[in-house]
Amino acid sequence: MKQDEGAAWSIFGYLLSGLIFWGGAGWLLDRWLKTHYFLLGGLLLGVGASIYLIWLRFGRE
Amino acid sequence: MRSVHRLSTEGGGFVPPSSNDFNLPPVFGNSAYTTKPILLVFLSVLLVSVFFLLASRKAAIVPSKLQFAGESIYAFVRNDLGRDVIGHEFMRFVPYLFTLFTFILTNNIFGIVPLLQFPAMSRVSFPYVLAIFTFFVFHYVGIRKQGLRKYLKDIMFMPGVPKPVYILLTPIEIATFFLVRPLTLSLRLFANMFAGHLLLLVFILGGDHLLKGVIGLKLISPFAFAFGIGLTFFEFMVQCLQAYIFTLLTALYIAGALADEH
Amino acid sequence: MKGTLNLVGYGLSAIGPAIATGMIFAAYISGVARQPEARSVLQPIAFLGFALAEALALFGLVLAFVL
Repeated sequence: MKQDEGAAWSIFGYLLSGLIFWGGAGWLLDRWLKTHYFLLGGLLLGVGASIYLIWLRFGRE
Repeated sequence: MRSVHRLSTEGGGFVPPSSNDFNLPPVFGNSAYTTKPILLVFLSVLLVSVFFLLASRKAAIVPSKLQFAGESIYAFVRNDLGRDVIGHEFMRFVPYLFTLFTFILTNNIFGIVPLLQFPAMSRVSFPYVLAIFTFFVFHYVGIRKQGLRKYLKDIMFMPGVPKPVYILLTPIEIATFFLVRPLTLSLRLFANMFAGHLLLLVFILGGDHLLKGVIGLKLISPFAFAFGIGLTFFEFMVQCLQAYIFTLLTALYIAGALADEH
Repeated sequence: MKGTLNLVGYGLSAIGPAIATGMIFAAYISGVARQPEARSVLQPIAFLGFALAEALALFGLVLAFVL
């Protein structure tokens, strides 16, 4: 059960860093190009990549 | 003590507690180094050291009450957090885990000890420093165990993935290991202590203010105080739990750095 | 009173993932308690469900700060 709790927190960490990195990249692109859709695209990309990573790490036993 | 001072200087309308209530003035002198949180941290170091020195001084086969209390805390950290999580090399890390657990626990419990009543960990710099220690410990352990190149390669490149996908995944792994882990470790502890102290302030100061109102409000104020007392017990649970989680996650990070593939 | 309504919206949007996380782990724990050997089967499912629910909560958190 302790390992389960650690896994839950590291899932949280992966999701957060995926959102921060790719969402942040989209936000910077938006600032640079004066657009408004890269942020949403970046956030979705980040969530997708994080969930893929979580599936690789915890989902396939 | 604090609330009396606070309400008498306002003289009138109710000011809801905010983050300003965490910037306490110096206890004595005029230096920024004698504020209440810093003195509480020194007090906690003193308390922990004296308690465990007394508990371990006259160690006997048939333990005294004090020795039993000290040994059960030590056994909890060593067995439940060290041995079960880290594995056969756990003895090296027990001193660090034990120091971390007792230090955080004492500082958290100061939040509900009468007259002290301020959790030092609700000032964000203390959790930051503890998380930086943990950060360096688990990376150092991993690099020593596996070598710099292999350790970084294990972190950055997940096996069993087509090459182009690494562009997507490697930044996430790096951000997780070097930024998000220490940040969430410290902010979790900080936010729990901060929110808990704020919650207690809301109910106790609110009840105090209601008591000064008209008769209808006076009748409500016992409920606010009762809620405040109930939440104090709830806070005790949260404080123990947060000290446990901080130590548990440190142990899990060390275990992950020691494992060949995480 | 000062503040931004974004945070109220985030608070409302966090209710759903909170309930979802609770239900996922409740089901996982009772499943493992009834049949401990099913743990290795249930664990990946529980964690993926948790990840999907948690993703919504974090999405709300990020958008509350950014928008």
